[in-house]
Amino acid sequence: MTPKPPAGHFNILYFASAGSYTSKNVEAFPAPLPLRKLFAMLEERYNGIRKSVLDHSLVTINLNYVDVPADNAEAGPDEVMIQEGDEVAIIPPVSSG
Amino acid sequence: MGSTQKSLSKEEIERYSRQMIVPGMGKEGQLRLMNAKVLIIGAGGLGCPAAQYLAGAGVGTIGIVDGDSVETSNLHRQVAHATKRVGMLKVDSLITHLIEINPLPVYVPYRFDLTPQNAAQIIKPWDVILDCTDNPATRYLISDVCVLLGKPLVSAASVQKSGQLIVLNCPPTPQGVVNKKAAPCYRCCFKKPPPPSAQTSCGEAGIMGPVVGMMGVAQAGEAIKILVSQLHMPPKEGEEVSPEKNLVQPTLLIYTYDLNSAIGPYSFRALKMGGRKKDCFACGENSTLTLDGIKSGNPNYVQFCGNMTQSTNLAPEDRITATAYNEKRRNGELGEHILLDTREKEHFSFGSIPGAVNVPFSKFLVKASSIKREGNSPAELLPMQPASDEAPIVVVCRRGQDSQEVVEKLKELGLDNGGKRKIMDIVGGMKAWRDEVDPDFPFI
Repeated sequence: MTPKPPAGHFNILYFASAGSYTSKNVEAFPAPLPLRKLFAMLEERYNGIRKSVLDHSLVTINLNYVDVPADNAEAGPDEVMIQEGDEVAIIPPVSSG
Repeated sequence: MGSTQKSLSKEEIERYSRQMIVPGMGKEGQLRLMNAKVLIIGAGGLGCPAAQYLAGAGVGTIGIVDGDSVETSNLHRQVAHATKRVGMLKVDSLITHLIEINPLPVYVPYRFDLTPQNAAQIIKPWDVILDCTDNPATRYLISDVCVLLGKPLVSAASVQKSGQLIVLNCPPTPQGVVNKKAAPCYRCCFKKPPPPSAQTSCGEAGIMGPVVGMMGVAQAGEAIKILVSQLHMPPKEGEEVSPEKNLVQPTLLIYTYDLNSAIGPYSFRALKMGGRKKDCFACGENSTLTLDGIKSGNPNYVQFCGNMTQSTNLAPEDRITATAYNEKRRNGELGEHILLDTREKEHFSFGSIPGAVNVPFSKFLVKASSIKREGNSPAELLPMQPASDEAPIVVVCRRGQDSQEVVEKLKELGLDNGGKRKIMDIVGGMKAWRDEVDPDFPFI
């Protein structure tokens, strides 16, 4: 099983090329975080990951698909927040066979 | 392709008895399989196991599309081929094997690759389509044609240690109809392909046999499920759609496996996907995609999957051929220099140019971005400190793509000392070294 994130954090699971880009399977980040800020946060830590991985990946929170809002999306009461203990997954398409 | 079969022969009863007695299957389920037509596109690591189980289960007509021939490097995962059939067309090799498992189904060979020109014609007669192909352009093409022809698509893919499986467009819903019940297509899940630099094939990146095999077997399982429960048929006018007949929330199955840990952090995960997307290019409300368009080159799949981002292209003066590099090494013209080999360590372990230091590309990128972030000295990227900070740096990778990116990054970080130090890459990578300099080099 994936280790539980420390208190006040959430986990990101990196699949396929996301895992090779970060050299990690899982990483904890401070929660809460608005979903719209997720990609910018990862880009800051992993320069270039956006173009190489994130832009074409799908994202789930707790095993459910989510649409990641555009960077310029407005903050609002209805926006999706990543909460403490959540499990976010970055899933790039795999195309070989 | 034959008339509807309504009863089973003695041989068929014996052959299929063990699956027919499974609750929910029965004679009725078996007859549905025997009257069904499944098309498998790709006779490789996914297509082989998928075809074995579909043939064994008695699917009446099985079509196989592939233009490739069997190679020795396929055999560790493409389990229906055989050492003695190396060189044979994969379609013929696979059908040879399937007839040995079960001679009763009709096998239809397509001894060429699927293209935008032939796709609709090939896909049209079939009930369920299996995408067992190996490249993004064909994946988008198959999905688009399946949307337009109303075919359920069982899509799987696998590379290195990861596999993915999803049932798409099932039950089939007409293009442009978007509601909660409409199932997504491939584009609804993966709107954009990875940039060419991030697209890796099994030949490039490697693949573990059991990972791709697992996905292929699961594809056969999903196809059987669809046919037995008749999910491939659109609900009739006014028919009440039972919850089980309605895959409101399609699931993406992910299989990941970690070679360094027997228990692994995780292995199977089932992710709940969204439904059809309103603005989907292929199935959404304002889609203008047509079969005629596809046939005449619109959209252009190769361009869509190939030119999304500009891949690095160094100027000729920043590059050196393998031949010229070898020459300058031998005559001492290059002097003391650093040779970085950016292949992953598994490739490096088979051999390298004498003096090369292994700095795997993925590790290099992470380190480069941390240096940028923390403001540390870029010299940390180099494995050793040469006597002079003007000693040239030569970068080599497998085929000469990653090395260009590394040269660019090194310059961006200022390691060229404002042009005083030469940084260049070897054109064509270790493949060129093998082809031009050392024919015995174990290039894999």
